[in-house]
Amino acid sequence: MSIIRSRTAQAAVVAATAGALVLTGCSDGGGSAKDKSKSKKDAAAQSVAVKLGTAADSKGPAAEVPGAKTGGTMKVYNATDFSHLDPGQIYVSDAGMLGKLLFRGLTTNKEDAKGNQTVVGDIATDSGQTTDGGKTWKYTLKDGIKDENGHVIDSADVRHSVERLYDPFITDGPSYLQQWLSGSGTTYRKAYAGPFKGKHLPDSVLETPDKKTVIFKFKTAQPDLPQALAMVGYSVVPKETDTKEKYDKKPVAVGPYKIGEYKPGKGMKLVRNENWDPKTDAMRHAYVDGFDIEYNHNDDDQTKTLLADRGDAKDAVMFTGQVSTSQLQKVVGNAAAMKRTIQGYAPYVWQMNFNLDRIKDKKIRDAITLAMPATAVYKADGGAYGGEVANSLMSPTTPGYDEKLDPFNRAKNPNGDIEAAKKLIEEAGAKGKKITYAHGSEQMRQEQAVLIEDALRKIGLNPQKKQVDSATFYEQVGKIKNKYDIYMTGWGQDWASGATVFPPLFDGTQIQDGSSNYSHLNDEHVNKEIVRIQKITDPKKAATAWHELNEYIMTEINPAAPIYYTKVFQIAGSNVGGLRYSTTTSYTDVTQVYLKK
Amino acid sequence: MLRFLLRRTLGAALILLLISAFTFFMFFAIPQDPAMLACGKNCTPDALDIIHKNLGLDDPVPVQYWNFLVGIFAGRDFAVGHCDAPCFGVSFSTQEMVWDTIVDRFPLTLSLTVGGLIVFLFVGLGTGLLAAAKRGTWLDKGASSVSLVLSSMQIYFLGPVVLGAFVYDTGWLDKPKYVPFSENLGEWFMGLLIPWLVMSVIFTANYTRMSRSTMIEQLQEEHVRAARAKGMRKNYVFFRYAWRGSLIPIVTILGMDISALLGGGMVTELTFGLSGIGRLAIDSVLNKDLPLTMGVMLVSAAFIIALNIIVDALYAVIDPRVRLS
Repeated sequence: MSIIRSRTAQAAVVAATAGALVLTGCSDGGGSAKDKSKSKKDAAAQSVAVKLGTAADSKGPAAEVPGAKTGGTMKVYNATDFSHLDPGQIYVSDAGMLGKLLFRGLTTNKEDAKGNQTVVGDIATDSGQTTDGGKTWKYTLKDGIKDENGHVIDSADVRHSVERLYDPFITDGPSYLQQWLSGSGTTYRKAYAGPFKGKHLPDSVLETPDKKTVIFKFKTAQPDLPQALAMVGYSVVPKETDTKEKYDKKPVAVGPYKIGEYKPGKGMKLVRNENWDPKTDAMRHAYVDGFDIEYNHNDDDQTKTLLADRGDAKDAVMFTGQVSTSQLQKVVGNAAAMKRTIQGYAPYVWQMNFNLDRIKDKKIRDAITLAMPATAVYKADGGAYGGEVANSLMSPTTPGYDEKLDPFNRAKNPNGDIEAAKKLIEEAGAKGKKITYAHGSEQMRQEQAVLIEDALRKIGLNPQKKQVDSATFYEQVGKIKNKYDIYMTGWGQDWASGATVFPPLFDGTQIQDGSSNYSHLNDEHVNKEIVRIQKITDPKKAATAWHELNEYIMTEINPAAPIYYTKVFQIAGSNVGGLRYSTTTSYTDVTQVYLKK
Repeated sequence: MLRFLLRRTLGAALILLLISAFTFFMFFAIPQDPAMLACGKNCTPDALDIIHKNLGLDDPVPVQYWNFLVGIFAGRDFAVGHCDAPCFGVSFSTQEMVWDTIVDRFPLTLSLTVGGLIVFLFVGLGTGLLAAAKRGTWLDKGASSVSLVLSSMQIYFLGPVVLGAFVYDTGWLDKPKYVPFSENLGEWFMGLLIPWLVMSVIFTANYTRMSRSTMIEQLQEEHVRAARAKGMRKNYVFFRYAWRGSLIPIVTILGMDISALLGGGMVTELTFGLSGIGRLAIDSVLNKDLPLTMGVMLVSAAFIIALNIIVDALYAVIDPRVRLS
């Protein structure tokens, strides 16, 4: 998923990665500010393929968090309002975290103490049953799942939740399931227009033979369906209370909390959903009585407030905020504060896309890739605690990642190889060539742009920076006929598989305005390989195949220069218990937290 | 007085009409479809059509403007529901009724601006008068020097410094937040204390210098010296004769400062993470949210005009020679 800046926010899309818990908490006792950040080794532990859980794994209640207490209201600081509250429209991290508290889907990701994930049944009794290698998946609903109004969720609600995703008003959110059921790209919309005029998807696609059973039928095997259904975007929307567009402001909760008060642009209060039964939920806890979410607190403000640890801040967590670069040394150098932090290797890869319609000479693309000052660029985004130089287009959190795959020798020249790049520019006869570089308007992106511009100038190019309002950055660079040569975007897997990285980024059949194939790569071999690999049902074989495709794309075409991988570093108040990094959301695990007093 | 108020109210209505028309038509000069912003990453022509219909963007611009004006007095119907008068439409970005959003945010801005106004008038005038009364002393020189330094300060610089020193590092003061007046008076006061102080600093300096100089001028006036010569008490003459006269230029400046105060309030809200009309204005412009921009513009303009009318009316109270009619 893209690291999308929504209406008013830069938000990272919900990631599902597998792997180890990476709590820090440790200190060297001396309060020194030496680097205690996570490394690619930690990320490698996260790239284990997600396990499919059994009916036993899916039974609630969730295992108790040691020492957990019930009660109190947890404070949450967030930079902006949530872009969407309708689960069908949710595809970004902060809303995804909120979704974990409000909504439930057929499946969900359960994490153990080490962060290893198992896909378990959420409102379904297990992670799904298939007898034909993944072409048909059957789900049976648990008893006693009710929404906030007391309505018992049945198969008609699940059917409706899937069908409504075809309606034109749903324009955000994941589209894996719709595409698998009814056609790639946006062709699924032509197959069916949604349930609001009384029509249903045919039984040959989606069948609900009784109140408890839901059967998905695909043309080709979809072994990753359980992982896809665990995304918040596929949560259940009870049919009778679906208000279409209005639902985005007043959704109906099925999870442990419901919306008690919502003031757009200001904040939101969550209160207990009395109809949620912990016995039916294998993953969530609801230790606190509610959440008081306050918007308009940027990373710097959040960090300072939480570091000061006074008043409300003692009971506070960040959702997607991070320790700000300016406060980094204060936090790292404070042993007591470090015990209140979490760290993890996030799944996002920042890459410089080449608009292949405009930069057709591979030598120029290779030169720009070689010249990228990756170290300086990631240091502007939180330093060692914010990222790490990327050697490939695959994140260390993705199965199949190989640190040795380093065609541009990032290991030796992490901050760029100006001489080699200069030579290539001369060979290409491109000295003085104008390169239009689009970047977002946030301060950090502006700082990075200065570094990149400087590197491009050093290798003999004529870079022209074009600042684009961050609110519409992805929309602008997502246009096929955009007027930019290069632009940096972030992408992270939706679950631990290359299937959620390479098809959205490099499948030529998906090129259209708004597509995430930002480089407009349309290579016959790549397209064929994507189709072939998606049919591989063995996760290990698939991981190897994605790695090989990654190598081909980087060495033979080079449509995007890998710049840096991202890490997450968050701090919470001293009264927060159960603090841990979630490998599912890449941030604080909000389903585990409690207040100590 | 009644004729004056009637005349000013009619003038205000005309100004608001011109502002609304200018903003509305300027908005459509932006070469970007506002529906695109509400449409997501998988936007389709069908989705765009729905959004156009829901937001009332299908009609010609003059018709939309007319509907907007009628809606203010008569209410309107939208896809998301009925919008009661005064209806400023439905926000493109939040799908909320604009009027409801403004009503929700306005108390904070009102608390912030009026509170700030009281602080800087009280501190500024008090210091200025004291400096004038103690002319030539260390107190006078100190007040003049400090006000000179403070007048060069900016909210966005001073705010983080004050937060760092008094909130994050020492914890002496509460982190700024807004608790409604009616909910908890103490928390309302403590939550806005830092924003008031920081916001008022830049204004206080001007009023200190202004009140000092006008007061010194007034104290030289013949009618003041005559009053003293008649044997009236010093303090009586100071406040009854000189101070009243010195207020007239200050009230003039105050009238001009009111819009700056609202602008200062905007920066203050951003600096302290408060969600009032100022932040709403910025968000609405960034999101190209016409109904919200219009609502904020008109309410802010009405607020500034109303305060100016009050200030003008004050002339008559302060100076009996002024006849409003």
